[in-house]
Amino acid sequence: MSTEFPGGPEAMPISRRNFLGAAASAGAGAALGAGITRAASPERDAGGGGSSSAQATYYEGPDPKSPKVGLRWAFSATVFFADRVMINSITSPTGRGYTSVGGGEIWGPRLQGRVLPHSGADYYKTTFSTYYMFEASDGALIFIHNRGTMRRFQSRPEPGQPLVPPSDPQAAGWTRFRATPVFTAPSGPHEWMNRTVFVADAKRQSNPDHTVFTYYEVL
Amino acid sequence: MRDFVVPKTDTKIQGEVRLEYAFQLTAHYDPPKVSQTPKGAFRYQDIVSGEVRGAHLNATVYPDSGGQYDTVRSDKIRDVDAHFMLKAENGEWIYMEHVGYRRPDGYYRAIAYVDAETKGAYDWLNNTTFVVTAQESADQREVVFHYYVAN
Repeated sequence: MSTEFPGGPEAMPISRRNFLGAAASAGAGAALGAGITRAASPERDAGGGGSSSAQATYYEGPDPKSPKVGLRWAFSATVFFADRVMINSITSPTGRGYTSVGGGEIWGPRLQGRVLPHSGADYYKTTFSTYYMFEASDGALIFIHNRGTMRRFQSRPEPGQPLVPPSDPQAAGWTRFRATPVFTAPSGPHEWMNRTVFVADAKRQSNPDHTVFTYYEVL
Repeated sequence: MRDFVVPKTDTKIQGEVRLEYAFQLTAHYDPPKVSQTPKGAFRYQDIVSGEVRGAHLNATVYPDSGGQYDTVRSDKIRDVDAHFMLKAENGEWIYMEHVGYRRPDGYYRAIAYVDAETKGAYDWLNNTTFVVTAQESADQREVVFHYYVAN
């Protein structure tokens, strides 16, 4: 399974309290294993993706009339966090988390820049919902509202099969951490972000506490 | 504004997302109702019925359980905001939300957020991110959605 689904085996406990202690070795393993995708290769997309695009990977369903859907690496962001606060507990009906964004950097074929320092936070309940700002290398300010889920399972989720919680909270399992941002970018070179659906892989890292987001355009 | 010094890390790692086909939804709508607002044109469309077919989910759209509450922007792109309920073949309730873009060039893509009963038969839908393609009929009364799990 580790070969076919390189996102899986490095998965970590998702509790924000026990994460930092358990995840120290996760990042390097995830990075240096089989995690480099075809879509992330530096090869140019011959299909008209522009001069600064990665290669796209296309998927299709059983219905030959249905449109193919593609993913293409657009850019990545490393986001460092500052404060972690809980109002009540996450299992409380009124549980609300606050994790502030300290800063970070953005790199990749279609966007470069930095996370505007202290420009927002994750205000999560059972799913995360993060609001902050990117500052592109040309100075443009781009708003990101990022939504998604982070949950750990005993094994890779299979359609139609129940999600089995990990038997040992400290043991490695399968983490599905997907982020789906909506961007608001100014008119100009970044306005394509206002009309493109994105999906991201996210990997939490420790020492220091940060997350690496790999953003794919949905084609 | 306080400044922030980005720590030196060696974590320019590349995460991967793969898509896996899950199911198809054919939805039937009433004609859209469009009104002009200070925020652009608001386009409401009632979802009347629909059918979900897939290896691990068969369901119907609960009639009149919601619809699309889209905004038509000045560049003619629709910000899609859809909410409705499904009733699975075993009677369990499922909530669906779509967020995406429908462009004049034919690009119609969305992300679906789905909530199912955690102790039910469709718990696998929970905490799953779906990438969705959509195709509208010429009269916009029928939309076929295809759902892919973002693994």
